[in-house]
Formats: sequence, C-alpha cells, structure tokens
Amino acid sequence: MSGTMVSTRDRVRAAASGPSAPPPRRRGLLRARRRAGLLMVAPAVLHALIWIGIPLVAAIVLSFTSYDVLTPPRFIGLENFRDLLSDSVFRRAVLNTSIYTFFTVPVAMGISLLIALMLNTQLAGRAIFRTAIFIPQVTATIAVALVWLWIYDPRSGLANAVLSFLGLDGPAWLSSTDWAMPAVIVVGIWQGIGLKMLIYLAALQSLPTELYEAASVDGASKFRQFFSLTLPLLRPATFFVFVTSVIGAFQSFDQVYILTDGGPANSTTMMTYEIYKSAFREFRMGYACAQSLVLFALLLFLTLLNRRITGGDRATR
Amino acid sequence: MEYTRRSVLTALGLGAVAAATGCSASSGDSQATADGPVEGEISLLTPLFEGSTGKDLLEGKLLPAFKQKNPNVMVKVDYTTYAALNEKITTSLAGGLMPDVVMLGVGWIPPFAHKKVLAPLPDDLAKRYEYEDRVLEPSRYDGKLYALPMVLDTRIVTYRKDLFAEAGIKAPPKDWAELREMSKELARSDGSGKLTRVGFDPFSIDLRQCWETFLFANDGNLFDESGQQVKFNDDRGVEALQLFLDVVKDKSADYSFKSSAGQPTTLQQGRSAMMMSNNSLWVQLKQQTPELLKEDKVGAFILANKVPAMLQGGTMVARSASSKHAAAAQALVEFMGTPESILPTAQQRGSVPGVQDLRTSDYVKENGFVKLALDNMSKARSEGGTAAWMEIREKIKTTLETAVVGKRSAKEAIDELANLSKEAISRL
Repeated sequence: MSGTMVSTRDRVRAAASGPSAPPPRRRGLLRARRRAGLLMVAPAVLHALIWIGIPLVAAIVLSFTSYDVLTPPRFIGLENFRDLLSDSVFRRAVLNTSIYTFFTVPVAMGISLLIALMLNTQLAGRAIFRTAIFIPQVTATIAVALVWLWIYDPRSGLANAVLSFLGLDGPAWLSSTDWAMPAVIVVGIWQGIGLKMLIYLAALQSLPTELYEAASVDGASKFRQFFSLTLPLLRPATFFVFVTSVIGAFQSFDQVYILTDGGPANSTTMMTYEIYKSAFREFRMGYACAQSLVLFALLLFLTLLNRRITGGDRATR
Repeated sequence: MEYTRRSVLTALGLGAVAAATGCSASSGDSQATADGPVEGEISLLTPLFEGSTGKDLLEGKLLPAFKQKNPNVMVKVDYTTYAALNEKITTSLAGGLMPDVVMLGVGWIPPFAHKKVLAPLPDDLAKRYEYEDRVLEPSRYDGKLYALPMVLDTRIVTYRKDLFAEAGIKAPPKDWAELREMSKELARSDGSGKLTRVGFDPFSIDLRQCWETFLFANDGNLFDESGQQVKFNDDRGVEALQLFLDVVKDKSADYSFKSSAGQPTTLQQGRSAMMMSNNSLWVQLKQQTPELLKEDKVGAFILANKVPAMLQGGTMVARSASSKHAAAAQALVEFMGTPESILPTAQQRGSVPGVQDLRTSDYVKENGFVKLALDNMSKARSEGGTAAWMEIREKIKTTLETAVVGKRSAKEAIDELANLSKEAISRL
C-alpha cells in the first residue's frame, strides 16, 4: 500500500478519537465565549452545589456524629467507622451489592448489546420490539416487583409452573437463602436491559457506514467487522453504560425492598437498603452517613479504576 | 473577602451542622403545655385510616364530630401505612415538621417520650374510661401517660376444627409439647414427601411478633423494668426460637409455607391446620372465605406453655411536644380516645377495642377473635419497654431468621440479638 492510502484501522482510530481541536481565535472573542460558557453552566453548578455539595458535606460532617434526628448531633470522632468494621450485616451488604453488580452489569450489558444489534437491522416490527424492551425501564419498580413477586410465588407463580412443565421441582425462590439473590439478580438484569439497549442502539446508529464499506472491500467478515470495528467504535458508549450501570447497581434498592426486605437472613440486603434502615428505621443518621460515605468511596474507586482500565477518558473525549 | 476552596468548604460544613442542629432543636426540646384556647390548624399523622374505607370513616364521620365539638380547630390529615410510619416520623422530625397529633405502635412510646418528642398527657385521662388493666401500660413512660390507646391487635393461634376432627384431635394443645405432637399428626405430604399441608404455620405473621408471643408464653421477658437490661437471652428466649426450628425439623412446618400479602391465609386455603394470626383475621375470613365461619370450621386459642400469653400490639394516639396549638392537639387526642371514635375504628380494621364499656357492643359479640382477645386481656403482653426499641425491633426478625433458615443455632442467634440490643441500649 502507498503512504497516502489510509487503512481501515487508521480510520477507526480517527473516528474513535473524535473531532480535532478547533483553530485558534482572538483573545477577546475567547474571553467573551468563556463568560458565556460560565453563565450557561452556572445553573447546573448552582444546582450541584446546593443539592449535591451541601448534602455531601453534611453527610461527611454527620458521619462523625451520633445523630438520631430527635436530639442534636454529638461528635463521636471515628466511632461510626469503627462500628462499621465490626458490623457483620453491613459487610454482608457490601458483599451482596458486589455480587449483584458483578452479575447484573456484564450480563445486562451483553444482552443489551445483542438486542441493540438485532434491532439495528431491518427487522420487521422493530419499533414494537424496541418499545417492549424499553417498557420495564419506565415502569415503576414497585409495579415491576409486584409482578415478580407473583412470578416467584413457590406454589402459584409462573417460574415454578414453567419448571414444573419441564419436570423440575422449583425452589421457594424468595424464602431460600440460596435462591433469593439469584432471583433478585434476574429482576435487576431484566429491568436494566431497556436503557442500556437504547444507548447502544443510538451509538450503533451513529457509526460511520463508510468504515464498514471499506472493511467489506478489505474482505472483512461480519464477525471480524464486529470485533474490529463495532466494538472499538462503541467504546465511549460502553464506558458510559458500564459506569452508569455500576452506579445504578450499587444504588439498587426498590426491588429488594419489595421482593425480599433484605432477607431471608440478610441474604439479599444491599448497601443502600442498610443505609435506609439505619437512617429511617433505626434513627441512626450519623451511622447511615458513615455507611453512605463508604458507598460513595467504593463508587468513586470503581469509576476511577474503570476509567484507568478502559481508557474511558480518551474514549469519551 | 477572598473566597478560597477551604473557606467555602468550612462554611458549607458549618452550615450543614447548624442546619442539622437547628432542625432537631426545634423538634421537641420543650414540653409544650396544653393550656390556651382550643383553636388553630393542626396536623394528624395516621396509619390507622389508610385506604378508602378508613378515609371515609375519618373524614366523613369522626372529624366532623370533632369539628362540631371544637369549631375553631382545623385538622389536616396525613395518611400513611404502618410500614412507612417510622420513616414518615423520621423525615418529619428531620424537617422540623412533626405532626401535632401522631398515631404510634405499641413499643414506640418509650423511645419518643425519652427523646421528648411527645408531650405527656394529664393522668386523669387514664381514668376517664374503664380501660382493661394492662392496656395503658404501653402508653406510659417514666410514670407518665403519653398516649391513649385506640385499637389493640393481639396475636392468637387459629386452627381448623374440621382438620382437627379429621385427625381425631379433640382439643387445642395445652403446651408446646402437645403443639409439636399435634403439628406432626396434622401435617400432610404428597408422594414425593413434599409438604402439602403444615401442621402449624408460625411464619405467616411477622417473625418478630411470633417469637415474642412464644417468649411470653414461656414466661420470658424482653427487658427488665428499667429497660436497660436484656432479659430475653435466657433459656426461655432460646426455647421459644428453638420451637420454630423443631417444627421445621419435624417436617410439620416450613419457612416458605406462608401466604403472600392480600391472598387468603394458609389456614383459609387448608394448607395449614394451625396458624399464628392477628385477631383481624376474622374480617378477612368474612370477606374471603365466609363459608368457613358459617360452617364453624375455624377456632382460636391462646398460646400457652409455662403460662398462657398473647402479644398485644395496637395503635395509640399521642400529642407532639412541639405542637404550636397544644390545646387543640390535646383535644383531638382526647376525642380519638373516646369509645365513640374507638368502636368504628376497631370495626373497620377488625381490631380489639381496649375500653371495657365496648365489651358488650354488638361488634365484640359478633367477632369471635376479638371476643377471645378481650376475654384474655389479662394474659396479654406487649413488646418494647426500652428507649432503644426503635433500633432493636429492626434487628429482631433478621437475626432470628438466620436460625430459622439453618445458618446458626437458636442460642447463637439469640446471643447475637442480645449483643446488638445491649449495644443499642448503651448508645442511649
């Protein structure tokens, strides 16, 4: 190949790295633009300061106090954090949340991508499929969980009816310490597919078709095109979906609240659920703030780790 | 002034603490008196009238009657459920918007009275009607009256008379040994050994309340009289939990064998021969399976081992210490505690009225479970008894459950619960 020829790989790299930097402007114009920019972001910054910044600072401050809402907070130093270390239920909640995230995020992402790829073809009735798959996302979790409660009913539920049809004896899904977590994970996967699918679909539809034409000319098979073109080009979308999914999974609450109440024997309790219980049922606001900070630190760590591993910063630039 | 990152963060931190302190300081540091004119707009937080029937009763009958007696008082009602009541109160307190009048569960008075969220009531209100002796016990804290009982809810054992007759059993069990034996006789399995009917279903009601009933029937206590010492971690508490494990081991009970909310109970479905129940099951029987009552197929008895005992829960009405219209709030509390308010309220929920005057009412005479509960009120015991109850009550079910599902022994679970309770009490 001559030096002026651009390979498919180079095109992919160029497309993934986004548009090049704008040409330099005059200093005055830049200053005016900067002011305009600041003005435009001001409402969002104010919102973040009031509704995120202040509660965050309050949570940090209160985590060093014993605060039961009924009487003023009392400074107790690191006692809440020391209690957290010996709290076996919270440790179980961290483990459960990690297990839930580990299983729901990759599985839901894989299924979403697969569905998005299918719905990105000229499939008959694809609008109906897209709507049907997205519906769980916009349905109230309470309603969804109530339907799943029926599905998991050991005697009259759909799950065991299907298993019974196949000659299998279904378990008591939500009353069993072995099966309750898998049951909650299935609901989490099912509910999370819609939004992920939508993001992937939008990303797929914005991929440059000329790259695929070039790849076809180069003789790349569909399989090769998927791994060498589609997946790398979807990296920004994948990074976004992964980060939001992990945060979402770590913050999942509703399905546990309705389906299992954290049980049986804490087998499905999650970090958010423990925070809620400490704060609103046990009146231990200071302790709940300490638990919240652990959750915050974990999420921050995971996001930064993922950014480092996947090169998310470059991918989203 | 130059704003640095440090100064801004310091200001935010101080602001947050000031906000938090300010909120709580307004939430009841002072014990408001109920002197003054009976007027103003007051709020009422109630889990007792949720749903359209309850709302119709409260707004269509009770509040108009109150308004007639107190024309200058306006009542704003905030409805909630029993499940959400706790967090509703927490958020109200945190926001400095504690309702003037609040309905609470049994066991809740010591924690809230201890923190001065509730205002004490004049003690003569306790003598206004002829209450069942022990009914006012959960309303008191530190010798003072803080609430008036509205309705009571007891935990009793219900059983299927037809299934007893079929098994040749003539009378309900007198102690746990008999209960266990009868459960074995009454349980049924299919060809594969899978349970189709349990002899005894202790798991369709809240595990905490069920275990407490067994603890009391074993002559045990939750705490000492001061509310500072844990008492349930002796043999009596362990035996109470062990019985659940034993009936599961006998294959005459199963933890997964419970009915879902809203569905007929296992007893109604014939899937259990005996079941721990709330007295409100009578109303459910009338609505869902009236033939069982008509054909006299359902009976009830009080659980007994060392002593006969039933758990008495219920709903009480109290006045907030931070109410700006204390006299109006107290007037509403007094009104809600009259037999005229109590009877229709008990009727709509199938609950037990705690005033002896109502013992002869048609409602009590017609409701077999309510009558049984009232006749045995001297055997009733209540949960709570410590100012740390709100924290401890949340730990009971999950900790006991670890034993029921076979993750640890009854003794280990009870010891763990005792440790958690001691920690909670030490934080008071």
